[in-house]
Amino acid sequence: MGSKWQLKAPLSAILGYAFALIAVSLALGAALLAEHCNLRHLEFPLLLLPIILIAWYAGPRPAIVAVVLSSLALNYFFEPPFHSFYIAGSALPHWFAFILFGSLIIWFSAVRRRAEQKLRKARDQLELEVVKRTQQASLLNLTYDMIFVRDMDSVITYWNRGAEQLYGFTQQAALGKRSYDLLHTVFPVSRNAIEAEVMRSGRWEGELMHTKADGTKIVVLSRWSLQRDERGRPAAMLEINTDITGRKQREDQIRVLNEELAKRADELAVINKELEAFAYSTSHDLRAPLRHMVGYTELLHKHASRTLDEKGRHYMATILEAAKKMGTLIDDLLAFSRIGRAETRETNVSLEHLVTEVLSEMPTSDGGKIDWKIGKLPEVYGDRSMLKLALVNLISNAIKFSRTRSRPEIAIECVEKKNNRAVVFVKDNGVGFDMKYAHKLFGVFQRLHSTEAFEGTGIGLATVQRIIHRHGGKIWAESAVDNGATFYFSVPTNGS
Amino acid sequence: MEPLARILLVEDDPRDVELTMTALGDHNLANEVVIAHDGEEALDYLYRRGKFEFRINQNPAVMLLDLKLPKIDGLEVLEKVKSDEKLKVIPVVVLTSSREERDMVASYKLGVNAYVVKPVDFHEFVNAIKELGVFWAIVNEPPPGSVRKR
Repeated sequence: MGSKWQLKAPLSAILGYAFALIAVSLALGAALLAEHCNLRHLEFPLLLLPIILIAWYAGPRPAIVAVVLSSLALNYFFEPPFHSFYIAGSALPHWFAFILFGSLIIWFSAVRRRAEQKLRKARDQLELEVVKRTQQASLLNLTYDMIFVRDMDSVITYWNRGAEQLYGFTQQAALGKRSYDLLHTVFPVSRNAIEAEVMRSGRWEGELMHTKADGTKIVVLSRWSLQRDERGRPAAMLEINTDITGRKQREDQIRVLNEELAKRADELAVINKELEAFAYSTSHDLRAPLRHMVGYTELLHKHASRTLDEKGRHYMATILEAAKKMGTLIDDLLAFSRIGRAETRETNVSLEHLVTEVLSEMPTSDGGKIDWKIGKLPEVYGDRSMLKLALVNLISNAIKFSRTRSRPEIAIECVEKKNNRAVVFVKDNGVGFDMKYAHKLFGVFQRLHSTEAFEGTGIGLATVQRIIHRHGGKIWAESAVDNGATFYFSVPTNGS
Repeated sequence: MEPLARILLVEDDPRDVELTMTALGDHNLANEVVIAHDGEEALDYLYRRGKFEFRINQNPAVMLLDLKLPKIDGLEVLEKVKSDEKLKVIPVVVLTSSREERDMVASYKLGVNAYVVKPVDFHEFVNAIKELGVFWAIVNEPPPGSVRKR
């Protein structure tokens, strides 16, 4: 707006003055012509006419110029003495009257122009306001939410496009209806209670059930806000509704799933308890008869060894051996089940120290012929005694299965350390195993070698796997028959 | 007439009783043992009730207590004994098959004097019983009011 006026102002001013000059000249010409034709006293109105026009169309300043010019022309041509700017006393009132008229015209037109400008400005503002309101109203139409306004009798007075689309009622169908009749609203509490709340606090929020035009029921999250008039009286209610039917259904599903999960967890807890009871009675009841077998066999041995022949003594020795083996099995099995049940006490553990400790406690039956290769090992986060048990099992396996080698080699190294996880392996050059049985490696009582060749109960690797799993890690192995075996495991390197 | 019993053996399994007695017999301690076959009987003996009503009013020098017992189990007996002003001085040795940590922790919390897991190996078992019997019934000086050595 400003730039438009800056450009136009000087030009229109010049044009205005030119217009004044021309108009005054033409009027003067016309007045002189009239006088020539003996039409007396026409100069007065003829010279006032351009002033009116100029004041009206070119503004007050050119009009003032016009007044000056025409008063001079009037003085020179029409007031005695003629053709002179001197003015006779008798002609002065006439001349002043002319100037007064001219000035009045200018003043009137200026006042009018100002009033008109004010009016135009007001109109412009009104137009802007209308544009803005229209934009806002169309914005309400853009939203997917259902928005409507109703008066204090719940009669709908505004209905946006979201409401049209979701409820299926057109604006024409909705306007003038009571909202709760149209939508068959089901309120969570009585409508009176809600309205009392709105009157008190000015707003309400809650879930409602509505029925769409096609009869389907939907759940909406409804927000009401009360609009008051300038005197503070309740005037209208703005209601904004969001369709949460899908969300409600998902919530219901999640709740059902959660309930099922809780049920399963309870069942699992019961099963766990049973298992614990089982392990407990295994510990107590299974060992007792075993002890009796061993005890009475020993007593028998003491009592009857003289009457027994070689065969009899062999049978007795076999009974004792078998009972002892069963004792070991029970102890291993109990240790294994204890790993699943015991609480872990997690701290930072230096694997390097742990390996050194394990090696120093190993029985040195190999006669020092093993070629150990211990790499730089990381600090991990876990239960020290459990990790130690895992290492004891892995290392003693490596020793066991490589003892047939003339030069056993065992390596313990860290191959990877990233994302708070370290991968460590224990590798031997022993008899190895066939990879097609790899899936059986970590099962309880699973053995890939005969007891005659390599002793063992088949619980060691199951124990290791359980320990690693309890630490959130993984364990796997690579091997080939007669080509050594490598056991990898991953463990966390910090608490998170 | 009840024999003077320095050792109260609380054990429900007759085979365990026999093996224990055999082990104790090697040190002539067998005739110093009185046997309770469940927790109730043990408490009857200690409180001189029921069939033990007329026994001499002296505490045993040691009680060897199994944990898994009919009627009243070992931990309950232990709790009862250790919360009784007159009985709590009796040294109690838990002698059990259970290697479970919670049993051990519970026993120590109740104030047990020793916790021994019965070894499966017979020789170890015999040795353990012998050492227990010798230590508590012979070497150890029992608290006043206990049955003394003859």
